[in-house]
Amino acid sequence: MADTAVRTTTALLAVEDVAVHFGGVKAVDGISLEMHQGNIYGVLGPNGSGKSTLLGAMTRLTPLTRGRFLLDGVDYTKVPARKVHRMGISRTFQTVRLLDDRSVRDNILLGQDTLPKQTRKAAAMQVDEVMERVGVREVAQLRPDELSYGMQRRVEFARAIIGRPRLLLLDEPTAGMNTAERKEIGKLMRQLCDEGITQFIVEHDVEMMVDTCDYLFAMNVGKLIAEGDPHDVVRHPAVQEAYLGKGAASGA
Amino acid sequence: MSDWYSMNVVLIQTTLTTLLLALSIQVPIRFGVFSFAGVGAFGIGGYTAAIAMVHLGWTTWPSVALGAVISGIVVFALGLLVQRLTGLYMGMATIAFTLIISVLAVNGGELTGGAGGLYGALGEIDTGHILAILAVVVAVLVWTETKGMGRRIDTVREDPELANSVGIDVVKYRLASFALSGVIGGLAGGITTLLRSTITPAEVNFHLVIVALTAIIVGGARSWLGAFIGAVIFVWLPTMISFVQEWEKVVYGFIVAVAAIYLPNGVLGVVKDLIHRFRTRQERARLAVLQEKG
Amino acid sequence: MQDLLNVASLGSIYLLFALGMALVWGTIGILNFAHGATFMFSAFVGHLVTSETELPFLAVVLVAVLVGAAIAALTQLLAFQPILKRSKNQHAAEMRILIGGIGVAAIPLAIAQHQTRSSPFGFRSSYEAEVLEIFGLRLSTTSAVVIVAGLAIGIGLTVWVRRSRRGLALRAIGVDAETAAGMGVNRTLLAFGTMATAGALAGLAGALLTFQLGAIAPETGDQLLIKAFAIIVLGGLGSMAGTVIGAYVLAGAETLVLNLNYGTWVDAVSFGLIFLILLARPQGLLGRKEVRRT
Repeated sequence: MADTAVRTTTALLAVEDVAVHFGGVKAVDGISLEMHQGNIYGVLGPNGSGKSTLLGAMTRLTPLTRGRFLLDGVDYTKVPARKVHRMGISRTFQTVRLLDDRSVRDNILLGQDTLPKQTRKAAAMQVDEVMERVGVREVAQLRPDELSYGMQRRVEFARAIIGRPRLLLLDEPTAGMNTAERKEIGKLMRQLCDEGITQFIVEHDVEMMVDTCDYLFAMNVGKLIAEGDPHDVVRHPAVQEAYLGKGAASGA
Repeated sequence: MSDWYSMNVVLIQTTLTTLLLALSIQVPIRFGVFSFAGVGAFGIGGYTAAIAMVHLGWTTWPSVALGAVISGIVVFALGLLVQRLTGLYMGMATIAFTLIISVLAVNGGELTGGAGGLYGALGEIDTGHILAILAVVVAVLVWTETKGMGRRIDTVREDPELANSVGIDVVKYRLASFALSGVIGGLAGGITTLLRSTITPAEVNFHLVIVALTAIIVGGARSWLGAFIGAVIFVWLPTMISFVQEWEKVVYGFIVAVAAIYLPNGVLGVVKDLIHRFRTRQERARLAVLQEKG
Repeated sequence: MQDLLNVASLGSIYLLFALGMALVWGTIGILNFAHGATFMFSAFVGHLVTSETELPFLAVVLVAVLVGAAIAALTQLLAFQPILKRSKNQHAAEMRILIGGIGVAAIPLAIAQHQTRSSPFGFRSSYEAEVLEIFGLRLSTTSAVVIVAGLAIGIGLTVWVRRSRRGLALRAIGVDAETAAGMGVNRTLLAFGTMATAGALAGLAGALLTFQLGAIAPETGDQLLIKAFAIIVLGGLGSMAGTVIGAYVLAGAETLVLNLNYGTWVDAVSFGLIFLILLARPQGLLGRKEVRRT
């Protein structure tokens, strides 16, 4: 990745000293990071390390305790959650959240419903095109509860990309998929990235993260413990200890 | 045909007004707002229309319109107050609101006729008028049930957080459902009152909530068509089966309970599921092959 | 002073009624809308039995308690449990349980209305209330029993839920169903027992109120339901002590309104309280802070 080249421009998303506390629990505790246009970023971390909370905070669904978010240098920390989508940030959820009584097609269309007309015309993909790309065109009229979990995940993915967001936040996008499916989705992510959609992925699967991401962050108990090239990050001692356990660190 | 119509004109009109009342409860439920304020709106609309006719000497339609507007405004204001409450609390707060309307009517002195109610508000309403108003209401509801609007409203109901994350202003939609429910309930109240020429506080009670709920739950809570099916069953079943007539309320209680357990989407839901299964049989066959490969 | 005694007596009836509802709602999360009908129908069965043979006070009470427990247990078994099993999530289950409860409630109410033609009914009992004079205050023996029973059961239940192992298990369910399951609590069985206990309390309240007033109407249960909701909301969901306080506060407020000669406004007190509390202090006086708002 062109690390030195992009540093000179404004970050697409800058996270400045962000903290999210629930009562006494410091789910996210002072995270600062930057993401630049045209890359795939990933966050590694054990369960409860605050990855998903950070993602929720980025979309403004989870209230911040302190810190701020800048999109293209513009502070959106005070913008209500419902307007974040229109700014070009869209997301998927850790658990699949689809409308059970609506068709696959309807569920995907929901992702571009509230975009302004011009944006929709200029940016949004056609629903048929999206369904083709994520591989659900064959089942367009079916309802989510008639599909396998992996298929439901694809629908969730399609809903997030149809509006062609600038920043796509993915919370465990390939959970419940087999290896072939993961590869397929990984390839699609790369294509989307080449089309200019910057991505931020929360995942457990280290192998997939190393294969897919350009740049990795590692979190533990609400703090950033390492960042950089994926291969370096997974070998970082702090990451080995936190994420893979002490035994793994000595074995590696 | 015209013989049949003239014999059953009261039942036909009752079906239509029951449908309006049921819709006033169905609209907020479809938006994920568990509000019974539509029944309160029925009372406000009915009393306003009767007062306008009896005390102000207004003619039929301005009176009904005034009732609908005022109940729309009052229920919208109620929505501003209670929109943050969740599920059951919202339900009970709006039931309390409805019952307060009835207490107000009892204590309204000459204006509302006290516990005895208001008499002599006979409007000039025929079935055609009611059908015309219903047509407008249903047209609005069809717009809220289909295409993008229908999708967004479903999302607001099923998953408010998801709605927020795809850019839907949940609060705005919820408030709109209050206003819509108020106007429709007000229309139902005004028309019913001026058809019968009278309204009493005892009418604005919990039984009315049950009537509306029965129609919706039995027919289906997701579409005006469900409320229509429910209203037809509700009004016509007693006339066809004398056992039902004698034990009307027992039968309805039973039907509501059974529907709540086994048919959460009502008769219409069952029919829609069947249609869906028929239409998508090829796709499901393809899916089976697809998943076998994967 | 006499007023205070009257408040204590009225509050104790409210308390006996509300305790069952609060217990079920605060622990297993079910707002049982059929609680009022259970209350009424227990007394109604007492009425039917005593119109055959004259019974002593305790026998009538026992009949009502058993009938109440049976109705509530059946409601849980035939309606609420199947709904819980069929619901995708808590939110959907809440609504279906409320609607199912409304349906269930309509059945005993309609039967009683049908049999009595909606007129009040009482007991034929060998028991004769006497009026006691203590320090110049008049108190009927029935009221004395009501006050003692109300306070004893109210305080007893509060302590029991707080101290005993069963109570702990119940509270665990109230806080978090999953943790409770982890603790090895049999949710289904506990829910069943809780509902039956609540029904027994409703039956007790039904018998005592009928003895105290001489007769109750089939609709009495529905009126109490809204009052009990106000009491629980006032005291705070999940707090038994709050329910005890709430019952006497509501009785006091209503007596005050009555004494100020605003008799027709009495019902508005509970409806108004529901509103004010939900808006101003949604967790109630003693309730835990929780997900009452979105």
